[in-house]
Amino acid sequence: MKSLSIYKICIKTAVSQAVAYRFNFFLSLLITFLGSLLLPLVAVLIYGAGASFPGWSFHEVLLIQSLFTVSQAMAKVCLGNVLWDTMIHVREGSFEVVLLKPMEPLAYMIATTFSPDSFGNLLCGLALFGYAAAHAQIVSAAAAIGAGLLLFIAGVAVMAGIQIIMAATSFKWVGNSRLPEIFGSVEAFGQYPIAIFPSAIRAVATFIVPVSLVGFFPAAALLGRAEPEAFWGAGLSLLFLGFGVWLYQHMIRRYKGAGG
Amino acid sequence: MRIIVAENLRKTYKTYKKAAGFFKRETTYVHAVDGVSFAIEEGVVCGLLGPNGAGKSTTVKMLCGALYPSDGRLEVMGFSPASDRKKYVGHIGAVFGQKSQLIWDIPPIESYKMNRAIYGIARADYKSILDELVALLDVADVLEKPTRALSLGERMKCEFIMAMLHRPRVVFLDEPTIGLDVIAKAGVREFIKKMNGRGTTFILTTHDLADVEQLAEHIIIINHGKKVFDDSLTHLRRRLGDKKLIELTLNEPPPPGALEGMVVTVTGQSSAFKMTLEADTRDISGCIESLFSRMSVRDISVKEPPMEDIITALYQ
Amino acid sequence: MIYAVAVATFKEWSVYRTHTFVSVFVGPVYFAVQYFIWTAVYGSRPELAGMALDQLIRYFAATALIGYLTMDFADWNLSMLIRTGKFLTFALRPIHHRFFALSQKLGHRVLGFALEFIPCLLIFHFLFGVDMRPANLPWTFLSVALAFSINFHFNYIIGMASFWVVRTEGIRNVVSLIAKVFSGALIPLAFFPEWLRMVQFFLPFQYTVYVPAMVFTGSFTPWLVGYQAVAALVMYLVSELVYRRAMRRFCDVGM
Repeated sequence: MKSLSIYKICIKTAVSQAVAYRFNFFLSLLITFLGSLLLPLVAVLIYGAGASFPGWSFHEVLLIQSLFTVSQAMAKVCLGNVLWDTMIHVREGSFEVVLLKPMEPLAYMIATTFSPDSFGNLLCGLALFGYAAAHAQIVSAAAAIGAGLLLFIAGVAVMAGIQIIMAATSFKWVGNSRLPEIFGSVEAFGQYPIAIFPSAIRAVATFIVPVSLVGFFPAAALLGRAEPEAFWGAGLSLLFLGFGVWLYQHMIRRYKGAGG
Repeated sequence: MRIIVAENLRKTYKTYKKAAGFFKRETTYVHAVDGVSFAIEEGVVCGLLGPNGAGKSTTVKMLCGALYPSDGRLEVMGFSPASDRKKYVGHIGAVFGQKSQLIWDIPPIESYKMNRAIYGIARADYKSILDELVALLDVADVLEKPTRALSLGERMKCEFIMAMLHRPRVVFLDEPTIGLDVIAKAGVREFIKKMNGRGTTFILTTHDLADVEQLAEHIIIINHGKKVFDDSLTHLRRRLGDKKLIELTLNEPPPPGALEGMVVTVTGQSSAFKMTLEADTRDISGCIESLFSRMSVRDISVKEPPMEDIITALYQ
Repeated sequence: MIYAVAVATFKEWSVYRTHTFVSVFVGPVYFAVQYFIWTAVYGSRPELAGMALDQLIRYFAATALIGYLTMDFADWNLSMLIRTGKFLTFALRPIHHRFFALSQKLGHRVLGFALEFIPCLLIFHFLFGVDMRPANLPWTFLSVALAFSINFHFNYIIGMASFWVVRTEGIRNVVSLIAKVFSGALIPLAFFPEWLRMVQFFLPFQYTVYVPAMVFTGSFTPWLVGYQAVAALVMYLVSELVYRRAMRRFCDVGM
């Protein structure tokens, strides 16, 4: 309850912060919105040139990519700046300020780094999803929609895990601003029909860094093409997020100099 | 009542020295704090001094619960700061002169609301504490301005409110007056005195010795990770022997031999007619008498030796 | 002298280790994604938008490698210098800051050549089995050199916006978004509709990635490189013009 009320106030604070730099806020909304169009743009051009991903219609591919965009945006809004703020605190030696607060440091970091800038990604993702869902043949059975929702939540957990793992890594690897590129490149495997990748990559993207849960599996479930390994992956997604949280807390224990 | 007790406190860092080879690293141990013991009474202002790299900030970090001691015992208000951190930090406050706790782009009042939620301060208490602190610091008209638009002095005062809204029993101050102008410094010191008068214990780390002279009753000096002094300000002054400085302005240059047997610390201040002498406190009147008998004095003043000299001597 | 340079380079190198690591990981992973996407998309088609699959694969490999040779942060560096007031220290030196920034970039790209370009080239060539021999080495070299110059001067101009605007993140983000689409790094411009390609002709973006990558794959006319040279000249002149205006403003406002 207490955490929730803190979170509420922090969101309000973040919004008033955004309002303080109104012009920049709307500009970044626009940029993040347009930025989210790059991914489907490639699909548009591919299908426009008369080609396709074998077995997938344009709207079906768009469904994958829109779900990917939505989960990524949710993780970015809620966790996107934990990495940067952690990095800055560690580099400038001011993480003590976080440790001064009578709450879990990770919870504090999450609460205070809510970033409305990425609403642009979220809006774009939702718009694309609405468009794709209206045109693709979504199975209207409750089971398919339930499975899709479940896998979507698992995908959000994976994205959240990635954000937290990145933030935890920045304790050790101070000042590497290119950290997000590493995870960004791996995330790309979740943006397309997974069948186009060789089986080794598919296995990694499902069971190790389960990015295929982020876009592909929930879309496949909505289209009635869910595969059993998707649900294995869904279980793993929680483990993945749990690992991220553990890693961050471990890094804080090390930072405090406990047995490190 | 002793509110802080440290016994044989140690903090050792492992660092890697780049050795001659490409990949070989040599492990070295740095003893940032090397067996320090002290006790601080509740309700005092305690100055924690030492040159850069002496182990002060490591000590403060351990006191704040941000760092586990490598060895030794540390107890503040019955808590072990680092291991009881979450419960403990609700009872302390901290102001870091160079690390802001306010949010840059929004007015301080918004940051306070955030702290109200984080520390779980009841609404009614929050209102009365805030009003009291705002009145003491005289910052009512800046609370609604964005932090980035405040002057350094205003911002620092707002930092104090941020740190003290939850009525901490102990407050750690790290360079709280750094970069402030004379008036802002005086305002901050006045506030610390008032809050101290109401029972708050302050631990003050600073390089500004005027802060120490005006505020601290108890002084602990650390150098090379070890405690080199732990007593009252008066005792610190006595440490270098009972000395006073006599500043003289003469009507004419002193006759040759007139200064024999005197320690002249600074000669030729702007002219040969001005000089500063050291004198033993126990013999101060005799000394002045002989000065007057030997030369023609226009002006004379007797001063305490500056803190800098005492501290420098201790640091060496 | 040589010793001093060597030591300085070596020290930079240790900072560069992480960059190398990131690039050698990220470059091939993105390339792998492109590789599998397009292999699937082509299926058994001989060509799409006038490009054969193996040409397209070579194109993407080339864009990644050209990126390592031309990448820079001149805009960001300059913004920071201006915003923090450190630009003054350069204004006081008897050296054109742009020349200093260019030298700095050259130094970094030499490192980038050794530590990012070469490893990724070997990975593409031997691991992915992509033929990484340029169709025509002198033309490719010339085209990449021109791309380097255009990219630098363009970024430098964007960086100078800080003389007029306080927060330039927005501008830089918009520009990098546009550049990402229209440089050809996302997809070869051959996939764009005809009218958009006409517009492209007058914008600098395609001359930084698309043109040198096409020259690498061998599908070009000397004219194309000629246009690129004109673009490089224009960029240089514009940057000089803006620089002079900026200096006048710098002295007027005394920032």
